[in-house]
Amino acid sequence: MPFESILRIRFCLLALLLFVPSPATTQPVKASANQEIETLKSEVRKLRETVDSLQATLGRQVPPVESEDVKADSAEARLEAELAAELAVTSEVRAENDGAQLRGTVSRAGASLNPKISVIGSFLGAGTTADAVEKSYDAGLTEAEFSFQSYIDPYAKADFFIAFGHEVEDPFIGPDEEAAFSGEFETELEEAYLTTLSLPFSLQLKAGKFRSAFGKINQPHPHAWDFVDVPRMYMNYLGGEGLVDRGASLNWLVPNPFGFYQQLTLEVTSGATEGSSSFEATKEPLYLLHLKNFFDLHESTTLEVGFSGLRGTNDAARNITNIAAVDMTLRWKPLRLNRYKSFEWITEALVSNRETPAGEVNSTALYSFLRYQIGKRWFLGGRYDYSEFPDNGDAHESAWSGILSFFATEFQKLELQYQHGSPADAASFDRVLLRAVFVIGAHGAHQY
Amino acid sequence: MSFASGCKIRFMVAFCVAANIAVLPLRAEKKISVVTTLPDLASIAQEIGGEHVTTFAIAKGYQDPHFVDPKPSYMVRLQKADLFVQIGLDLETGWVPPLLDGARNPDILPGGRGFVDASENVPLLEVPAGDPSKLRSQGDIHAYGNPHYWLDPLRGKIVAKNLLDALVRMQPENQGYFEKNLQAFNLKIDTLTQRLAARFAPFNGSRVIAFHNSWPYFDERFGFDLVGFMEPKPGIPPTPRHLVAVIKKMKQAEVRVIIIAPYYSKKSSKLVASKTDAVVVELAGSVGAEDGIKTYFDLFEYNINKLIVALQTSGSPAQQ
Repeated sequence: MPFESILRIRFCLLALLLFVPSPATTQPVKASANQEIETLKSEVRKLRETVDSLQATLGRQVPPVESEDVKADSAEARLEAELAAELAVTSEVRAENDGAQLRGTVSRAGASLNPKISVIGSFLGAGTTADAVEKSYDAGLTEAEFSFQSYIDPYAKADFFIAFGHEVEDPFIGPDEEAAFSGEFETELEEAYLTTLSLPFSLQLKAGKFRSAFGKINQPHPHAWDFVDVPRMYMNYLGGEGLVDRGASLNWLVPNPFGFYQQLTLEVTSGATEGSSSFEATKEPLYLLHLKNFFDLHESTTLEVGFSGLRGTNDAARNITNIAAVDMTLRWKPLRLNRYKSFEWITEALVSNRETPAGEVNSTALYSFLRYQIGKRWFLGGRYDYSEFPDNGDAHESAWSGILSFFATEFQKLELQYQHGSPADAASFDRVLLRAVFVIGAHGAHQY
Repeated sequence: MSFASGCKIRFMVAFCVAANIAVLPLRAEKKISVVTTLPDLASIAQEIGGEHVTTFAIAKGYQDPHFVDPKPSYMVRLQKADLFVQIGLDLETGWVPPLLDGARNPDILPGGRGFVDASENVPLLEVPAGDPSKLRSQGDIHAYGNPHYWLDPLRGKIVAKNLLDALVRMQPENQGYFEKNLQAFNLKIDTLTQRLAARFAPFNGSRVIAFHNSWPYFDERFGFDLVGFMEPKPGIPPTPRHLVAVIKKMKQAEVRVIIIAPYYSKKSSKLVASKTDAVVVELAGSVGAEDGIKTYFDLFEYNINKLIVALQTSGSPAQQ
C-alpha cells in the first residue's frame, strides 16, 4: 500500500528529527541543523499533503461529517494518533482521536453492567371528616419503591420491586387492629418475576410474584394511577393493593386476520392474595383468564376492551367465587400537539358470584374515570365509584371524586383529590388527598 | 405403448414439480420488513433497501419523538419485523422498551441480529461531562449526548452505512445491490448538502433562537448561530422570567428569527416575537412533518428554504 509506505517514511523522518543535534551544540552545527530541520519540515508538509490527497481518494476512511476547515486539523490528529500507536503510547491518545463515538460506546457498556435502578417515592397527605378514623388528618411517606430491571440473558428478563412504606388506613372502613393511618412501617417484596423473551408461537411466560393481569388498572403500580385512592371495586373485591399473587402467567399474542392487537393471558397462582376479601383463606389455586383487545380507531384515538375471569375458593370448605369483569378505555390524544391536549375515559365493572354455606351471593361493582388535559402539565379528572360487597349484594357504597394533577416533568407529579364518600354503614364524609410521586434513576417507561 | 407414455407423463410431471421447486425460493423471496422509530430512518432504509424492503415508522414526522405512546398495535408490527431501527441515545427510552418487550420477537431485542441502533459511529455533540446524578437538574438532558443527529445530512450517511450493514446481514445475496444504493444515497446527500450550504452561505452566522435544543447538528452543518432557547432548560416550559432574558438577548444581538418544531406550542414564541419584531418559523424535525416532506432529502431542502425566507423577510442582519 502506498499509504503504509508513506507512513513508514514519515516515521523515519520523525526518527531523524529526534536524532538532530540538540541546541546545546556549537553555533555552525546549529545553523546547519536548523537548515536541515527547515527542509525536513517542508518535506513533512509535502508528505502530509500527499497523505491527505490519498485519504481523500480513499473516501470512506475520511469521516464524512467533517467540514473542510476541520478536515486538516483532524487529519493531523489522526496522524498523531497513528504515530502514537506506532510508538506504543497509551491507548488514551487514540480514544481521544476516535472522538465521541468511542466515548459513547465505552460509557454505554459500563452502564449496562448494572440493572436499571430507580426509586419512586410516594408521599400522601390526607384530611377527612369521617368519624371512624383515629386521626382526621395526617401525612406520611406511603411508599418508597426500589426497582431493579434487566435482561438476564437472551432468553429472559427480570424485574424486582421492593417497597418500604406506611400502611394507610381505609377511611371507608375505619381503623382496624393492624394499621392506623400512619401506622406500621412495612417492607414488602411487591413484585419479583422473570419474563421469557424467546418462547415460540408468540408466547410469553412470567413466573414469580406479580400483579395479576386483571382488568385495566391492576397491573400498573398504584403510584402510576391517575387517581390517588384505590377504586372501591378493587378495594372490596381484590384488596387494597389490587390482586398480587405468586405463580405463573402465560400470555399469547393472538394472531388474527384483522391485524389488531389481541392478547390472551392465563394465570395460575397460589391464591395467597393478601387483603382480598373475595378469595381469603383459599386452599386451591386461583385461576385468571384475561383477553385484551386494542383498536386504533384513528391516528389519535384508541379503544381498549378487556374481559377478565377469576375463579378461586373463598374458604376452607372450598366454596367457590367466580368473578367476571369488563374494562373499557377510550383515549384521544392528537399526535401533532401530543403534550398539550388529551382525553381519557376508563370504565371497569364486575359481577361476582360467591358460594357460601348459607347460599349464593351475587354482587356487582363498577367505577368510571374521566380525565381531560387542560394544559401542557395540568389534568382535570373525575371518578364515580359504586360497589357492593363480595359477601353482601344488598348493601352498597359509593363515592364521587374530583382530581387535579400537575406533572412538573415526567419524573414528578402532584395530585389533589377531593372525594365525597357514602359508606354502606356510616354517615357520608368528605376527604381531601394530596399525593406527590417522584422518581429518580432509570428513565421509567410508561405503559399505554 | 401405454407404459412408455405413462412414464413420459410421469417424467414430465416430475420435471414440472422439480422446476417449480427450483423456482419457488426465487419467487417467495421475502422482502425485509424494517420498522423504525422515526420516519427519517424509514426513509434512509428505503433508499438503501430499495425493492427488497418494506418500511414502517412508528412515530409520525409531526410528533414529538421524545413522547410517543407505546400503543400495543405497534407490538403487532414489531412482532413481524425483521429489522428494528432506533435513533438511540435514550431519545426513545420512554416508549421503545415496552414495545420491544411486548413484541415477542427475540431477533429485534438489543443485541439481536435485527436490532439496529442508528447512532453507532455517529460523532455526537453535547456529550455531558461531570456527575451524571446532577444531569436531571439541568432538565431533560440525554446522558449520551444530544440525540437529534439525523438533522445533519452528512451524519445521515453514517446512519445509511449502519443500515447497509444490517440489510446485508439479512440478505447477503443482495449486498451488491444495497452497496450500489448506498453509493447513490451518499452522492445525492453530498450534492444536496453542497448545494444547500452554498445557498445558505450568504446567511452564514445569522443569529436565531430555538424553542428546544433540537438543532445543534443542523446548525453545525449549515452554520447559523443559535444564541439561545425559549425553554429555560430542555423539556421545561418557558417561564416569564426566562422569556424576559430571551427578549433582552434578542434585542441586544439583533435576533429576528425563532425556530420551532411543529409539535411545540407556538404561544410563547409568538409572544416573544411580537415584542422583538421577530418571526416564528416552524422547521421540520422529521420527514413527514409537512405534506411536502416525503424523503430524507426533502427534509433539508424544506428547512433551509424556510429558514432563508424567514431570515430575509425578518430583515435579520447577516453576520459573519
